[in-house]
Order: sequence, then structure tokens, then C-alpha cells
Amino acid sequence: EDKEEESKEEDNGTHQNRTSKRKTLQRKNNDRKMTEKGVSRKRERDKKTPTKDEKDSENKEKKTNKGKGKEKENKEKKDRRSSTPSTSNSSDEESLSEEELAMLMEQVEQKKKLISTMRNKPWRMVKKLAMLREAQAFVEKFEGALGKGKGKKLYAYKMMMAKKWVKFKRDFDNFKTQCIPWEMKIKEVESHFGSSVASYFIFLRWMYGVNLVLFGLIFGLVIIPEVLMGMPYGSMPRKTVPRAEQATAMDFSVLWDFEGYIKYSALFYGYYNNQRTIGWLKYRLPMAYFMVGISVFGYSLMVVIRSMARNANESTGEGDDENFVFSWKMFTSWDYLIGNPETADNKFASITTSFKESIVDEQESNKDENIHLRRFLRVLANVLIICCLCGSGYLIYFVVKRSQTFSKMQNIGWYERNEVEIVMSLLGMFCPPLFETIAALENYHPRIGLKWQLGRIFALFLGNLYTFLLALMDDVNEKLAEEDVLKNITHWTLLNHHNSSTGNGSTATPPPLDPADVPRGPCWETTVGIEFVRLTVSDILVTFVTILVGDFIRACFVRFVNYCWCWDLEAGFPSYAEFDISGNVLGLVFNQGMIWMGSFYAPGLVGINVLRLLTSMYFQCWAVMSSNVPHERVFKASKSNNFYMGLLLLILFLSLLPVAYTIMSLPPSFDCGPFSGKKRMYEVIQETIELDFPLFVAKIFSYLANPGLIIPAILLMVLAIYYLNAVSEAYQRANAELKKKMQMLREEEKNKRNNKATTNSAMQDLEDLFQPNTKSESQPKQEEDKKIEPPNKASPVGKQGKAAAEDASPINGRRGAALTPPPHVLVTRPPMPGVRSPYPGQPRPGPHPQGPVPWRGRGQPRY
Amino acid sequence: AVSHSQITRLYSRFTSLDKGENGTLSREDFQRIPELAINPLGDRIINAFFSEGEDQVNFRGFMRTLAHFRPIEDNEKSKDQNGPEPLNSRSNKLHFAFRLYDLDKDDKISRDELLQVLRMMVGVNISDEQLGSIADRTIQEADQDGDSAISFAEFVKVLEKVDVEQKMSIRFLH
Repeated sequence: EDKEEESKEEDNGTHQNRTSKRKTLQRKNNDRKMTEKGVSRKRERDKKTPTKDEKDSENKEKKTNKGKGKEKENKEKKDRRSSTPSTSNSSDEESLSEEELAMLMEQVEQKKKLISTMRNKPWRMVKKLAMLREAQAFVEKFEGALGKGKGKKLYAYKMMMAKKWVKFKRDFDNFKTQCIPWEMKIKEVESHFGSSVASYFIFLRWMYGVNLVLFGLIFGLVIIPEVLMGMPYGSMPRKTVPRAEQATAMDFSVLWDFEGYIKYSALFYGYYNNQRTIGWLKYRLPMAYFMVGISVFGYSLMVVIRSMARNANESTGEGDDENFVFSWKMFTSWDYLIGNPETADNKFASITTSFKESIVDEQESNKDENIHLRRFLRVLANVLIICCLCGSGYLIYFVVKRSQTFSKMQNIGWYERNEVEIVMSLLGMFCPPLFETIAALENYHPRIGLKWQLGRIFALFLGNLYTFLLALMDDVNEKLAEEDVLKNITHWTLLNHHNSSTGNGSTATPPPLDPADVPRGPCWETTVGIEFVRLTVSDILVTFVTILVGDFIRACFVRFVNYCWCWDLEAGFPSYAEFDISGNVLGLVFNQGMIWMGSFYAPGLVGINVLRLLTSMYFQCWAVMSSNVPHERVFKASKSNNFYMGLLLLILFLSLLPVAYTIMSLPPSFDCGPFSGKKRMYEVIQETIELDFPLFVAKIFSYLANPGLIIPAILLMVLAIYYLNAVSEAYQRANAELKKKMQMLREEEKNKRNNKATTNSAMQDLEDLFQPNTKSESQPKQEEDKKIEPPNKASPVGKQGKAAAEDASPINGRRGAALTPPPHVLVTRPPMPGVRSPYPGQPRPGPHPQGPVPWRGRGQPRY
Repeated sequence: AVSHSQITRLYSRFTSLDKGENGTLSREDFQRIPELAINPLGDRIINAFFSEGEDQVNFRGFMRTLAHFRPIEDNEKSKDQNGPEPLNSRSNKLHFAFRLYDLDKDDKISRDELLQVLRMMVGVNISDEQLGSIADRTIQEADQDGDSAISFAEFVKVLEKVDVEQKMSIRFLH
């Protein structure tokens, strides 16, 4: 060790000498520059070229001590190395300079010579072929540069294009990251509030993307064709506001309830006509309406499941590097390209947050207390919460029943009418905090706690959904009954009108009945659509007002009244609000459920939702940054937010059911909507197949729809699912096994290091194991070293050469440290004992002649 | 393997940084670079440019330090190991980073040195006690020979899976 130190010092010394020389030279140069500043650019180039040549020659000198066969190869390699960067890096405008050209010419000549003499070389065939191919490629590539006139230009052009292409790719990558919407906003939130809060915003952004696609589908294929090509407003009864409502149809209060003109617009189901084709395009609107309704669900299902699968992939793909969490944070967290003070502040905050997250994780994993007590508490908490859920479920059931009896009674009060809503919102207000309090018993890691909390509130909200759907179904059934009666009246009116006009015996065509005067059916589809839209809008308002009052006003109050208050408001009772992750996520999920259910009956609903998500992105980001404080225990979100996705999938399934039910088993209204006049909505498909496709297609479809075919297909799918599931489980098990093995290996290694002395023999075994790998490369050199060694015994050259040879072996890059000790023992020991001066007193071996610079030469002088 | 235009470009950068116009850079000149001024380790990076006891760096020294950050070309990886190891090799890059943390130059990052860095990176937002536990954890993770300090070998081991070649490269040369 000492010796190496010395040689390093020596090295330093020579370097310093050289640099001082260089310094003086540079000074001279500088002086010259100071005096004549005129054409500095050219001067610089002149100045630099000699240094480069010098370096090259140095390199060449150093390489002269190699075996003959290898030398040539190495030289070529080196040449290529030194040439390619220089050629590829010369700037765009100026093509190659003179001496570069000359060098290139020389290399190409060399290559050509190599190709012609390849046969005579004593190499293996494989190597020959490889070399040949390499040389040919090189010649082909660079010959153009040397060609006269045209070839040179072409080459320069090619180089320029290649460079432009690289630059373009880089710019494009930057552009792509810039295009990710709200990335900066979310990062900012993440840096202050941790990844768990950011995961909500990422979810929100994802949701916005999905809704944008749905919006495109519905607007592009349904609403815009209808507006452009369908019959205009007022042309038929379903597209006209009835006479009785016309006086108030434009009032704001009416519009706010989505009645009046809005009700009779393309935003709702009832407006669409049942004409098979519209416009000059012969666009089949009813068919399109049906297919879009289906594909909204199809697309959503696909997207949710696909992103779940991707998340699962990612979470299994990485995550094996749990070993150096803190070290990585410590050494690699700063982004050295940050030059903006604000960004730097964010980075500071995010580093702090991530450290805090890790501390929480660490604390959790180190906790060990009374496990029995913990278990008991957890069971108790679950029992309590199940009691709460059952109680609230029963309460909802009870209230709904009561409201059904109330609805039959006359003159009931305000409370009786709104009882269900009041009970629901009270439950929604008090249950989540109650759950949270109970959850404190369980003492879970906050990340897992959040999942439990989400699941529980989800179960509670399901009651909400259930009552809403129940009320809606009642409404629909009522409307259906009403419709039967009205249908006859309408027919009768129309008939009457016709009769009366023809009965007069006048020859003139009867004035057509004004569409506003035709009696209408109740059109339950539009009613359902309006119901959903109202619910969505009120939800938006409630959310925004809650944020404004509960977060912003509270924050303002705490901040400013704190100056004149008896106790410390910021630290004491009201304090600032924390961001409620579970509530917000569930709000988003349920809102999306409403959209899915409602979009079939109110195509405009998705548009409203897109606006809502857009505004809530900005609004909530602002609210979080301005008026919330980070959680007391900032915790790291799980890598995949598959839990959110799972909830979403559940809601998607639940909202698919009622829509599918109404499509398959309720008769559509007779006088509104694209399916009017049919018995069921899906008949539109049968109609299209029968009328628009050739006969055999209809036959094929009828065969396909045969239960005899469908049931085996379903069976097959189930079997496939079973098989794939089994396979994935097997993989998982294998994966876990491998991970365990790796962990064990690592620990073993660590142990080994801790008591190195005892394991030296084991290390040798290990080395023997590796020997076959290293042999091909390091063996010859070892022999070489051994040969060198006896003459100048124990001179560091041998050792250093050894180290270099070691480094050359492929495994050494990783296990270098593990393998270095044995060679010391094996090779350097035998010839040493006291033949010449022992190690410590060894005089310096001189400026190591031609020998390779030691591998340990990391300690480069700094200047 | 540095081409002309690269050197020319770096030289023009050098002269633009050189406010004193005396052919050397002082610490103040470096402090003017916003990225370095903000960086919690900025001072140490700047120090890396200066050799022991000097407070000026000329263009050659400037280049020598920057050479650590030259990207590794594809054809350099297959290089034979007998030549001098280039400054931009992986281990030299790592050693450059290591020296940023190793203040007392004993080839070990001690707990105190870690604490200093931590203090710079997180400011006053985390209590001393917690910082201490972070430092302890870091050492515990990385330390393999039980001397409760991180040696260079251990440092390399920790960053084994980090793409240092790419992260510690500056494409100033294109």
C-alpha cells in the first residue's frame, strides 16, 4: 500500500512539473493573445493542434509494449476511437480540416491494406470475418469523405444530417416531456406534499385523459352529426319546447334545472330522431348512438384494465433495489441542472419530503410491539366499522322505504320530502371521520391505512348509489305507466286533427299541427339524463364550495386572525386543513360512475365532466398549495395506484349494470330519442344487419348469436383465464424465490467481508469458479506478468500490470474488490522473500517505464 | 479524443466566465454560474476545480476537471485496459463524486461528513436527531467492512446500478 502511495506521489510530481511548464507556455500564449486580439479564432485552432498531436504521440508511445498480433488490432481500435469523435464533432459549417482529412486518409489506407492481407493473418476464421466486416464498413463509411468533389460533399451532407437528426431527437424528447400536461404543477405539489397527494393529482390527470377520449367519441360521432345534419330545432315535437313551457323556457331558474331549452337540445337523449339515416352522408345516427353508448363502456373497461396491468408490471419490474434507499437519496437526489431559484426551492422541499417518507417507512418496518394486543385492536376496529356500515345501511334502507310511503301521501312537509338527502349527507359527513378515529386503533402504516379507509368509505357510499338508483327506477316505472296512457292520447289527437282538417271538405292541405302543441309522452330517458346531470353539477358545486370554505377561508382565518387571538390558531385547534386524499379520490371515482351511467341518456354530460376535471385540476392545485399543510406523517404512495384503479373498475362494473338493464329490458319511449318506435333499444342492430348487410351476413350473425355457440365460447374463455392465472402465479412464485436467493447472496457477501480472514479460502474457491470465464482474457497476461516479474523482483510494475489485467476481466468490473486479494497472495509472494530490498525500503522504481499507469490511478492530481 | 471545435467552444465559455480577463478563473467567477450558486454542493464542486492552496484555475485545469464529464463513447468501452485510464471512465467519474463528499480526504465518508451534506440538502426542515438517523441508516446500508464510514469501494458498490456514465456526462462537446 505504502508503495502505491509513493508511486502516486511520484506521479503527481511529474504531473506538476509538466503542468507548470504548460502553464508558462500558456501564459506566453495568453500574452500573445493580449497583444494581438485580432484573429483569435484562427489562433486558437493553431494553438490547440499541437497539443492534440502531442497527446496522440504519447498514446502511441505507451502502446508500444504490446504483443505483435495484438498491437495492430489495438492500434486500429485506437485510431478509430480517436478519429470518430473528432470527425463527428466538427461543427456543421466547416467540413473536415486538413490534418483530420489526412489522418482519415491514412486510416482508410490501413483498412484497405488490412482487407487485402487478411488471408495471411494467423487468426481464427470467426475473428477474420468480424475484422473484415468491420474494416469494410469503415472504408465504405469514410471513403466518401476523401473522394474528390462530389463524394466529399455528400459525406459532409450526411454528417450534417446525422447531427441534425440527433439534435432533433433530443429536442423532440424535450418537447414530449413538455407536452405532458400539468407535469410541473404536479411535481410542485409532490415536492411539498409528498407522493401520496401527488398520486391523487396523477389519477385526476389520467381521468381527464380518459374523459377527453369519451368526449371526442360522443361529440364527434353523435352530437356534431346531429347538429349538422339532423332536423333543426322546432321541426318536430320532440325537438320543440311544449307550448305550456314556452313562456318560461328561457328563464335562468328553469335553465339551471336543465329544463326548458336545454332539455330540448342535443345534450339529451330525447332530442334525437329515429330517422334511420340523416343528411347527404346517409349517416346512421340511431346506430351510431347505440354503438357509441356501448363503446364508451368498452373503451373505459379496456383502458382501466390495461393501465392496471401496466401498473402491475411496473411494480413487479422494479422495486428490487430496496437495499440502498437512503444512500441513493443521499448521493443522487440533487438535480445538477437546476439553475432557477424557484425550482431549487422545490427541489429542497422534495428532498426533505422524500427523506421524511423514508423515515416513516423505516419506523414502520422497525416497529415491534405486543402483537396480540395489536391483533385484538384490529379485530375490534373492524367489528366496530362493520357495525357502523350495517347501521348506516339499515338507516338508508329505512329512510328510502319511508320516503316511498311519503311520496304517496299528500301535503307533506319540507323535511319529509328531503329526508333521504338529509340522512345521506349527514352520513357522508360524519362517517368518514368516525372511521378515521376507529382506524387509529389499528395503527397501520399510513399507506395501508389509506387503503382501508378508502374501502370503508366506498362501502358507505355504495348505499348512496343504491338509494339513488332505486329512486330512479321507481321514477322510470312510473313514467312507463304514464306513457301507455299518453300514447293513446297522442295518437288520438293526431288522428282527430287530421280528421277535422279533412272532414271540413276543404281542398287545401290542412295546416299542420304546430309541433309545440302535440301532446308528449314523459320520455323517461331524458328524465334520467337530467337527473344525472343535476347530480353531477351539484356535486361539482359542493366540492368547490367545500374547498373554498373548508380550506381557503379556514386558512385565511387561521392565518390572519392569529395575530389577535387568545391561543395559537396555527398550532392549536382549527389549524390548517390537510389534503383529504381518500375523500377526494372517492369523490372522483363516484363522479366518474355517474358519468358512465348518465352518458347514454345525456350525451352532453361528458362535456360537463371534462370541464369539471379541467377546472378542478387548477382549482385544487391552487387550493392545496395555498391553504393546505402537508400531512403530519408524509408517506410514500405505493408505486402503482392500482387500488384507485380497482375502485374505478368496480364502479365501472356497477354503473354498467343499470345501463345494460335499461337497454336490454325496458321499452324506449314512443315519441322521443333515436330508438323510438322499437320494442327494445338493441333492435337497432338487428335492423341494421337486416337492411344494410347482405343476407348471408345476417345468417352468420344469427348463428353466432346461437346459445350453442356462445356458451362454449364463454367456457373457453373461463378456461383460458384459469390457465393464465395459474401460469402467472407460478411465475410470481419463481420470482419471489429468486428475490429471496439474491437477498441471501447479498447477506452472505456482507458477512464474508466482515470476517474476511476466515473466508479467504472460500474466496479462492470462488475465484477458481470464476477462472474459466477469466481465463481467455487474463491468462496470457498473467503469464506475461510472471515472466516479467523475476528480473525486477517485486517491482510495482508487475503488480500494477496484474491489477490492470485483473481489470480487463469481465467480472472484475463488479467483483473487482472481491477478487483482488488472492492474486496478491498467489503471484507476488513467491519470488519476494528478501532477495532484494524489502517492500518498505524499496527505492522508487523510477518513472515507470512504458508500464501502464496503475489502475489505482484514480487519484488524479487536481488542477 | 477531444476535437477542436469542442476545445474552441469550451475556450469561449472559459473566456466568457473569466470576468477579470486574466486568463484564469477565480472562485467568484464560478459562483456566477446560477446552477452552481444554487447547488447545495456547489462550493465543493467549485473546489474540485482548484488544486490545493490555489485560488485561480487556468484553461488547462479547467479542461482537466471538465474532462471527467465527457461522455463515454461507445467504442471506448471496448477499450483495452493497458493504456492510462481516461479521466471520463466510470471509476474516475465516481471518484470525482466521492471527493465531493469526502472533505478531509481520508478516502472515507464519515458520519459527520454525511451530516454536513444532509444539512445542506434539507435545510432546517428536519430535526438534528432525524438527520442523524438518516446518516446512520445510510452508513448502515452502505458499510460493508464495519468501520462505520463509507469507503470508495463501498461508494462504488452503492452506485453500482446507477447509470453514472450517463448521469455524469455533459454533452458540451456537440
